[in-house]
Amino acid sequence: MSDHKEGFEAPGTFVIALVFLAVFVVVYVVNFKLLSNIWEIR
Amino acid sequence: MAEQFRTCPTTGLKIHKPAETLIRVNAVAAVVCLLVGGLAALLILLTRWPAVHLLNEEWFYRLLTAHALDMLIAWIIFFEVAGLYFGATVLLNNRLPAPKVGWVAFILMIVGGALINYTVLVGEATVAFTSYVPLKASPTYYLGVILFAVGALTAVLHFFAALIVAKKEKTYEGSLPMVTFGLMCAGVIAVLTLLHGAAIYIPTFLWSLNGQWGIPNDFFPGIDPMIYRLVWWGLGHPSQQINVCAMVSMWYLIATLTTGAKPLNEKLCRTAFLLYVLFINVASEHHLLVDPALSIWHKIVNTSYVMHLAVLASMIHAFAVPAMVEVALRKKGFTKGLFEWLKKAPWGNPAFASMFISLMGFGFVGGITGVTFGTEQISIIRHNTWSITGHFHGTVVLGTTLAFMGITYYIVPLIFRRQIFSETMAKLSPYFFGGGVFIFANAMMFAGGYGVPRRHWDITFAGASIPFQFDPTVFFFIALTGLGGLLAIVGGALYVLNTVASVFIGKKIQ
Repeated sequence: MSDHKEGFEAPGTFVIALVFLAVFVVVYVVNFKLLSNIWEIR
Repeated sequence: MAEQFRTCPTTGLKIHKPAETLIRVNAVAAVVCLLVGGLAALLILLTRWPAVHLLNEEWFYRLLTAHALDMLIAWIIFFEVAGLYFGATVLLNNRLPAPKVGWVAFILMIVGGALINYTVLVGEATVAFTSYVPLKASPTYYLGVILFAVGALTAVLHFFAALIVAKKEKTYEGSLPMVTFGLMCAGVIAVLTLLHGAAIYIPTFLWSLNGQWGIPNDFFPGIDPMIYRLVWWGLGHPSQQINVCAMVSMWYLIATLTTGAKPLNEKLCRTAFLLYVLFINVASEHHLLVDPALSIWHKIVNTSYVMHLAVLASMIHAFAVPAMVEVALRKKGFTKGLFEWLKKAPWGNPAFASMFISLMGFGFVGGITGVTFGTEQISIIRHNTWSITGHFHGTVVLGTTLAFMGITYYIVPLIFRRQIFSETMAKLSPYFFGGGVFIFANAMMFAGGYGVPRRHWDITFAGASIPFQFDPTVFFFIALTGLGGLLAIVGGALYVLNTVASVFIGKKIQ
């Protein structure tokens, strides 16, 4: 059985999730940038 | 029947003695495979490092093949079989319905694994993990793989039979425990995976017989390389998803054992496991993104849409586990700020440290790069580079292997009835291993970003008729890969030594 209650129970985990999202965006954008460097649209 | 069970005095769990023996032998076989694969890893690492360049090319490719098979297949599947028997018996107060079948499965896996290693080490199967046709190994190699797979499939079906017995004999109340449910999902993926394996390895075995063992050269027609690649990845990738499912189950188990945490929303977690079962197999297609034989439509649907439903499952688990740990630790009074719970978490407990490093490493290192490199456009710059090797060491080594190492610290006292030999070694191992693989995998990915190829004996191309030089920066990342790898090997050696010492000379627990 879960012990679920009303309210924000895991704010630290939420921050970890936001950091994860930020790292994902950076890695994704950097890889597309690297791709664009060798695969130019003229 | 009662004399076949014993009750653990510490946990109160009922343990079926024949199941306990099978858990022991499979776990021991797993650790032996980890040792063999780890030795191969050390030699490969010291060869890929141009400053050392230890092995000649022949032994490099032999050991590369053996390393992949011993680590990705043998270590993990033996450990998973031990986990399946544990989940279906100990966690359900249940018995194994046919221990003799368990022994047949174990012997098939041992014989298969021995044949694979022998054939590879004598140089008759230097075909790498994928063994793409028209590369051809000795029939003994394919026979070894088939025997191992039949043994593993038998063990998985035995696990399902045990679940049916538990349900019929009402050994537990309500739904299956989360951990067993996760292992059941791993079992379903294993059956699908092994059927793909049979579909490709049986014809390849027959093809390899041409001209061998007195069989005519035209005994079996050739294998279409495209069909081989497509069906092989139906085995190659989902086999790693069995690992993911089993690893996530271990996260939940370790989180509960070390902090008393409970899932905040069990239905969501169980749904996430089902997402793996439904969508992970099609995600295999991301290995074929640069393959000219498949249509763009086929690739995009499978990898840019369907694959993300399986990724969603990993993200649910990767946040459900720290969230349940956070809630449990906040209940214990660690409520200051956002991260007091994390600071005061039981980092001295090697199981917890292994679980949390595995969880973060799997998400941040293996997960993010997996989704990124598995994107159709980006794959063109990452495919067959060392970045891919870095990515999957982030998932399978930093993630799965470390999680399995963590649960060992509970399995040894419960199943082997021995105390952990050295607490210091146990405490240090996850940090050395986790830290080492973190450096190693990331450095590999940076080197791969400069185009350094995977599976290559000499990236300086010494003596090549057309000379080529990489940007000198890659040598910094290769050195970093070497240092990280050595650190990981120290952590792995601490784990293996401590586990072997605990099992054989650890203090007995009555």
